[in-house]
Amino acid sequence: MKKLLVTLLSVAMVLAMTACGSGSGSGDGGSSEDPIKIGFFAPVSAPAASADGTSALNSAKLAVELCNANGGINGRQVELVDFDDKLDTKEAANIAENLASDDSIAAVVSGSYSGPTKVAAPIFQDAGKLMVSAYAVHPDVVNAGDLIFSQSFPQKLQGAAAAYYATNELKAKKVAIISVDLDFGSAQVEGFKEELKKINSPIEIVYEQAIDISDNDMSSPVTAAAAAGADLIYSVNYYEQAAQVLREVGQKKLDIPVLGCEGADSFELLNIAGEYADGLYITTNMNRDDENEQTQEYIKNYVEKYDIQPDMVGASVYDAFQVVFAALEECGEDTAAMQKYIAGLENFNTVTGELIRYNDDGSAVKPVQIQLVTNGEYHYAGVIDDPEIIDPANY
Amino acid sequence: MFEQQFMNALAIGSVYALTAMGATLIYGIMGILDIANAGAYLVGAYLGWYIYHATGNIALAFIGSAIAVGALGVLLQKTIYSPILAKQNTLSIIPLVAAVGLFTMSSDVIRLICGPYSKSYNFKTSADSIQIGPIVLIPAWILIFALTALCLLVLWFLLNRTKLGLAWRSTANDSEIAKVCGVDTNKSMALSYILGYGFAAIAGIMVGILYNSITPALGEVPSYKMLAIIVLGGLGNPVGTVIAGLLIGFVEVFVSAYTNLPIPKDAIAFVVLIIMLLIKPEGLMGQKNKM
Amino acid sequence: MANAYLFSIMATVAIFTLLALSLNIITGYAGQAMMGIAAFFGIGAYTAAILTTNGTPFLLALLAAMVVTGVFGALLGVISLRLQEDFLAITTIGINFVMAAVFNTLKITGGTLGLTTKKPEIFGVRMNNFHFFILTVIIVVIVCLLINKMRKSWFGMALASIENDPAAARSFGINVSKYQILAFIIGTALSGLAGGIYSHRMGFISATDFAFTVSIQVVSMCVIGGLGTIRGPIFGAILITSLPEILRFADNYRALVYSLLLVIMVRFMPGGLLGDDSPIWKLIVKGYRKFVPRKKTRADLIAEEAVSAGAAPGTQSVKQEGGLA
Repeated sequence: MKKLLVTLLSVAMVLAMTACGSGSGSGDGGSSEDPIKIGFFAPVSAPAASADGTSALNSAKLAVELCNANGGINGRQVELVDFDDKLDTKEAANIAENLASDDSIAAVVSGSYSGPTKVAAPIFQDAGKLMVSAYAVHPDVVNAGDLIFSQSFPQKLQGAAAAYYATNELKAKKVAIISVDLDFGSAQVEGFKEELKKINSPIEIVYEQAIDISDNDMSSPVTAAAAAGADLIYSVNYYEQAAQVLREVGQKKLDIPVLGCEGADSFELLNIAGEYADGLYITTNMNRDDENEQTQEYIKNYVEKYDIQPDMVGASVYDAFQVVFAALEECGEDTAAMQKYIAGLENFNTVTGELIRYNDDGSAVKPVQIQLVTNGEYHYAGVIDDPEIIDPANY
Repeated sequence: MFEQQFMNALAIGSVYALTAMGATLIYGIMGILDIANAGAYLVGAYLGWYIYHATGNIALAFIGSAIAVGALGVLLQKTIYSPILAKQNTLSIIPLVAAVGLFTMSSDVIRLICGPYSKSYNFKTSADSIQIGPIVLIPAWILIFALTALCLLVLWFLLNRTKLGLAWRSTANDSEIAKVCGVDTNKSMALSYILGYGFAAIAGIMVGILYNSITPALGEVPSYKMLAIIVLGGLGNPVGTVIAGLLIGFVEVFVSAYTNLPIPKDAIAFVVLIIMLLIKPEGLMGQKNKM
Repeated sequence: MANAYLFSIMATVAIFTLLALSLNIITGYAGQAMMGIAAFFGIGAYTAAILTTNGTPFLLALLAAMVVTGVFGALLGVISLRLQEDFLAITTIGINFVMAAVFNTLKITGGTLGLTTKKPEIFGVRMNNFHFFILTVIIVVIVCLLINKMRKSWFGMALASIENDPAAARSFGINVSKYQILAFIIGTALSGLAGGIYSHRMGFISATDFAFTVSIQVVSMCVIGGLGTIRGPIFGAILITSLPEILRFADNYRALVYSLLLVIMVRFMPGGLLGDDSPIWKLIVKGYRKFVPRKKTRADLIAEEAVSAGAAPGTQSVKQEGGLA
């Protein structure tokens, strides 16, 4: 029993420390002089995710900074309350509870992957707090409720767009699929296959392999894909692996075109794959050649501030903030009104092009951009805006 | 395609063998599973990158990085591992926790100092890929084969043809008896760490060149994969480690080439390991069968 | 309402306390180097999640999670008989990777999409973090009492002898295999129970929740606190689980500070901060004794009487605890 007592005492001690450490003061609704606080979380310190986490945080800071430089929202400054979730769902749950129970937080943007975002979504929904997810791909994120919105394509949709493009524009006949063994990869592959069936595509899948996220060795699957006679490799991977696919194809002079996805939309891919990146097609959400002023402005500001190129992750986070800013400007810090406003948005101008509307479940409806790498830069190669394909309700 | 896959497997297998060699040498003397070896691999790769980009000399990058990281290894051995092992009745998982801490620290230090984004070696050789019959050889592979062979040769020479090596082998066999016979076991430990961390650094640079990318997460896969390899090779046995590294390379490449098993490669290594351990619990090459 | 934040941390802390205690039975008491506890944590988590999704009541699902995990644990226990320390450590690491791959692949575990669980109801109340915390703490207290009892039983002594020297234990006629397997069954079953609570408290699980890094974390909890004690894993779990939140002030240097502390703790107190040999623990015991003198046992009273009756001081040897009490 003595031991138990000591143990309980130490429990109390540590919990007390935790309570002090947290110390996030929960303010009242906020008077007009107080800044508007927007909660944010991203995987900044997880080694495997810190590149995306940093891009996300960079864009969040840029969005808030530019907003404040332009006079804030209705004269009030905006404050970013950011957390590092270490790509750990347990930490995400703590962060979400922290933000959700803080009355001074007006809305939240998720700059994290599926796991943390998926865990956080129901917590915000239950607490009556609005969250916009920037690039998490889990299809159930938005199903947590009406207060949860998502900027990213449902992944099956992106896969379907790839199937459409591979069939009609690239005129492929034999496709080898190399995908990352995560929801991100499996959902796109599923969408790809379903669309092939739907449009009666002549494409035959000659090779298929799901690769663990941590595995960089693409020599075996690419060799096998070539041996299977593929005339297109559909690489549903993040930039690191997609770059290795390109290097394998290039170094071994296989001369097979590669079609990637938004995961390959990063300057990192261009650095790693170097000369072998040219000729890569990707499906993504940002058109770098967009004449849209906002897009060019964003790219310019980002490069100026951080001295690196923005990527798809950063652009999506920036967009999520623009949506939240617009809602706050229109409705103040009234969550119900903000929800209504966002759900009713139409043809909203973002850096990733025109956001047509939000679907009933809260996922964004926007055209799928096709970019082609030429001379080490992403350029416009096409856009898929067939309403049949880009409506999330069809998936 | 078989020939090409064979070469693919040989290349990745060589990398595995060299990566795991460091952990094997350390286990041979210290008897600890040093996950932090993967930290040495990471730090070595970054150090090599800075040296290469400052001097443009890849040989200098390999040598400089290996020496610096080897020295770091001795420092860690003297200040962290040996004191922990000196305590009575230490379970082997206790130094392992320290090693995990050190490994996490190395990843984070690299992230904070060198940034979260990848760095590219952009190492160019005058030679292009070479086509021999059905096989395409990538220049980086030739570098890998040559360096792996060189490292193993140096290791063999050190352990079998020098006094230091004799001391090392006797310590690995039984450190108590070696000590009684007047062998300086401290020297053997230091040698383990110089070689172990030095090899890890070389392997790190090789992988950096092979994939043209190093990131703060570079050490994550080797941190556990090399454990599978050194156990498969019979814990602390350098020859066994080479064979095990190649074996894992071959199994991984051929499984993903000819099947669509829905298991990740990392699991394949461990499935091989578990099956083998159930059949032969002392490892592929027994335990006392040293190089 | 910063309480919700605190309860969220407390619920996680409690679950990991249970998990650390379960590992402690295998590694601390039976001395088996188990490095893959997260695999069993995961088996329990998925079992309970699948069951409640199909309508099984929460508590029943927890029970089933324990049983299923215990069966897998028995299997590992049998395997463990064939392997010595480091081989067992790496085999269990391997099992962890294979299980994580299985979770990521099977349809029943949701594949790459993972599983979403509904918050269960107990007595008509939808459970929140506070309820999960209370439930887990109750279980932890029961487990602590049972472990305490176990250690004083024949089983506990057999385990201690296995941990010290299996060969000697065998020569004394102790059925080493039986007790070792039993330790694996009990330990893994408890980890499965922790998993069942975890999957419902989180509301969503996927294979990454049960990765090798989680096993390492739990091992660290036991080692940092002190293997083979009850207080050690409890303290370790509280410290390691809440440290990332405590260290939030360190901002970008959080992971660095965390790992640095880990290394320093293991370096200077390999026996754990609250292990039997730890100076901290000795100080705590000493300080505690100052305020609360040990309760006098019958032996003490007899000895005192003897002393006051003028008997030779040598008779004080009766004073040893446990002899008569």
